[in-house]
Formats: sequence, structure tokens, C-alpha cells
Amino acid sequence: MSWLRTLLLQASWNDDRMIGVGSAWAIEPMLRALPGGRNGPRYRAAMARATQFFNAHPYLAGMAIGAVARAEHEDLPPETVRRLRHALVGPLGSVGDKLIWAGVMPTAVGIGLAVCALTSPIAGAITFLVLYNAVHLVTRWWALHAGWERGRDVSRALTARGLKRGLRIVGPLGALAVGFALPVVGEWLARDFSLRAQGNMVLVAGLAAAFAGWLIPRFRGLRFGLAAAAIALVVGWVW
Amino acid sequence: MSEQFGWLLVWGTVVGLDLVSVGQFMIARPIVAGAVAGVILGDPLAGGTVGAVLELFALDVLPVGGVRYPDYGVGAVAAAATAAGAPGVLGTGVAVCVGLAVAYLGEVGMRLVRRGNTTDVRRYRAMLDQGDLTSVVTSHARGLLRDALRSIVVTALGLILAIAAYRWPPVTVQGAVLVTLVVVGTALGAAAGGVVRAVGRGAGLRWFGLGLAGGVLWVVIS
Repeated sequence: MSWLRTLLLQASWNDDRMIGVGSAWAIEPMLRALPGGRNGPRYRAAMARATQFFNAHPYLAGMAIGAVARAEHEDLPPETVRRLRHALVGPLGSVGDKLIWAGVMPTAVGIGLAVCALTSPIAGAITFLVLYNAVHLVTRWWALHAGWERGRDVSRALTARGLKRGLRIVGPLGALAVGFALPVVGEWLARDFSLRAQGNMVLVAGLAAAFAGWLIPRFRGLRFGLAAAAIALVVGWVW
Repeated sequence: MSEQFGWLLVWGTVVGLDLVSVGQFMIARPIVAGAVAGVILGDPLAGGTVGAVLELFALDVLPVGGVRYPDYGVGAVAAAATAAGAPGVLGTGVAVCVGLAVAYLGEVGMRLVRRGNTTDVRRYRAMLDQGDLTSVVTSHARGLLRDALRSIVVTALGLILAIAAYRWPPVTVQGAVLVTLVVVGTALGAAAGGVVRAVGRGAGLRWFGLGLAGGVLWVVIS
């Protein structure tokens, strides 16, 4: 039940407690077995602690949820539970960001884009979804179980050999996959253009990379895209 | 497109919810959202093409914590609706412009959702601090409903924009070619710049260079 609830962890994301309320909602089924049940003082005290500020990578937050639930069942002092919860915020955030957002995500996107260009868009989308969610769902399941199994020693799970190895591999793999995908996708997207137009596209890409990567790194992403699109639309309209 | 409006609205809402609130199975990634929207519209190639271009822009954003999330998924649904049925890649450029605008609308909507969630948490503060389950469930459910509403509204606005761009194209054929060329080039550059920034100057950059060389070689020999 708690595992399913971690899928909706961020629904009440807010500036004050971030995913604190979401983590309380996710941990709640694990606290029902506390002595006194749902109306008992231990349940209410544990829930009160669970609603406080908390933030972590959503896929690894289950580790803190499991560890805190275990600590509540072991009747550890409230201050220890609070410290455990706070101590996990930084590591779970940084490990999750490095593993998933900067590793698994670009790897799956790069492979998905290459498959999209080389076979079909549907095959690309399916490849991406299968690759990504194989890691995503296993990570969520492992995190919750590791938290519950290890309790207050949960930090050891974050130094597990498999995780360390994964962190070492996924970053370079993501860079390799996206690097390979860019020319392949570029060629596929430029399939209907003349050779001269393709050359111009490469020129635009080079200028954009220079702007986004080095010259004005803060002016990037959506705003960069919107600015380029607006200029292109005005020139295209005038032309 | 008007016959599929309802299905696209449902798909856009599901995609919008997946962005943050429900699951994060990444059906909100444009490569997925655009391709499926293309299937709904009967033109998977057009949907996949605009989805791929928007995916390149999306590669530039790491969706960490409180970062601003452009809603590229719903943007891809609107972009697919603009591009479907257009000949070749002529519709791609204008469609991606629509997609980027809708992604921005989604981002603004997300900020409003989070502001609303914060107001709720402050309203129920005393009850939350006492461990009251009802206030936890209420805050959480209201956040979910708020995000569902955001997704519906942004998708609907995106589809209206798509219909307008399809019926009254803002550029000539020559202009459409230029717009496509610029947005695709910019997307490729933005993705490359984003990756370079993310991997730094060490081994990651070498792996990126190796991948790039492999991709160029593939294009040359295939």
C-alpha cells in the first residue's frame, strides 16, 4: 500500500514542507500497526512528525519512509526519528538526481530518440518507456524495502556496491547515448531538406549549442527555445 | 482534429498529471506524449517528429525538486495536433512553436498549483502538526485535483491554439521551411549545450564526444 502511495508522493508539493505532506500520506499505512492503532497517541505523534518538512528524490523517498516507519515501530525517541528524517534529505536528493535525472533519464532518452529516428516514433517511445521504467519501478521498490529492512542504519544502503557502481556507469552512459542520438536524430529531422538547408541547420545548431552551453548558460531551455521560435516566426512571417 | 479533441484532452490531462503528481512514469516526456497524440490523430510520424524536437529541448532541464517545470508533454500534444496532416516537415516548425508556448503555459500553471498547495498547508497547519489524518488526505487530494485542473485547462488552451495555427498558418511555405530549420537547429544545439553543461569537462565530456563521433559515423555510412 505504501509503495503505491509513493507514486503520488508529490501531489501536494508546496514551498513550506515540500513533499512532507505527501510522505505522511505514503507512510500512513505502515503506521497503522503501531500500538493503539489509528486512534492511539503513538500513531498521531508519528503522523505529526511525518507531516513536517521533507524533500528527496521522489523515487528514493521511499527509503526515508521505510526507515522512519521502522524507527517509529522500534519506539525510538522522537528527536532521533526527526534527525533520521532530516539526515536523509540531502543524500537521497543528491543520489537520486545523479542516478536518475542525470544518468538513467538521458540514457533512456538518447536510446529512445535513436530508435525513433532509425525505426519509428512508436518504437522509440516504447523503448524509452520500457528502459526507463524498468529502473524506475525497481528503484522505488528497493528504496522502500531497504528503508524498512535497515531502519536507522539505512545510510548503509546508499553506500551499497551495486548503487555505487550504477552511479559510476549511468553518467557516462547517458552522455554517450545522447551524443550518439544527436546526429542520428538531426539527420532524421532534416530528411526533407536540401543539402544547403541541412548545412544551415547544422550552423544554427552550433550557434545554439555555443549560446546554451558556454556563452549565456543562464539563458537556456524553454526560454531559449521560445526566443529562437519567436525570431524565426517573425522572420518567416516577413519573408 | 475536432473529432479527436476529446481524446486529446484526456491524453493531455493524463500527461500533465504524470509530469509531477502521479507516478512520473515519464509518459509526460514529449517523445512519448507526441507519438501517442500522433497515433490518436492518425499521423504518428508527425506526432513523433514534433515530440522528438521538443524532447531535445526537454533534455536541457533536470526536473529536480522545486525547479521550474516546463510542461513539454502537454506541449507535445498540442504540437502534434498542429502538425498532424501537414505535408512533410512543413508543419513541424510552427507546431514546435505552439508546443513551446504551451509548455510555458504549463509551467505557469504549475507555479499556481504549488502556490495553492502552500496556501492549503498553511490553512491546515495546526491540524497537520497534530498528526490529523483528515487534513493530510484533504491537502493531498486538493493538490491532486488542482494539478488535474491545470492539466485540463492547459491542454484545452493548447488544442485551441493548435486549431488556430492549423487553420490560419502564420507563415508562408517558404517561411515554414525557415521556422522548421531554426527550431530544429536550436533544439539540437540546446540539447548538446545542456549535456555539455551537465557532464562538465572531465570524462563525461569525452564520452559525449565519443557518442557524437559514433553518431556522425553512423549517419555517414548508413
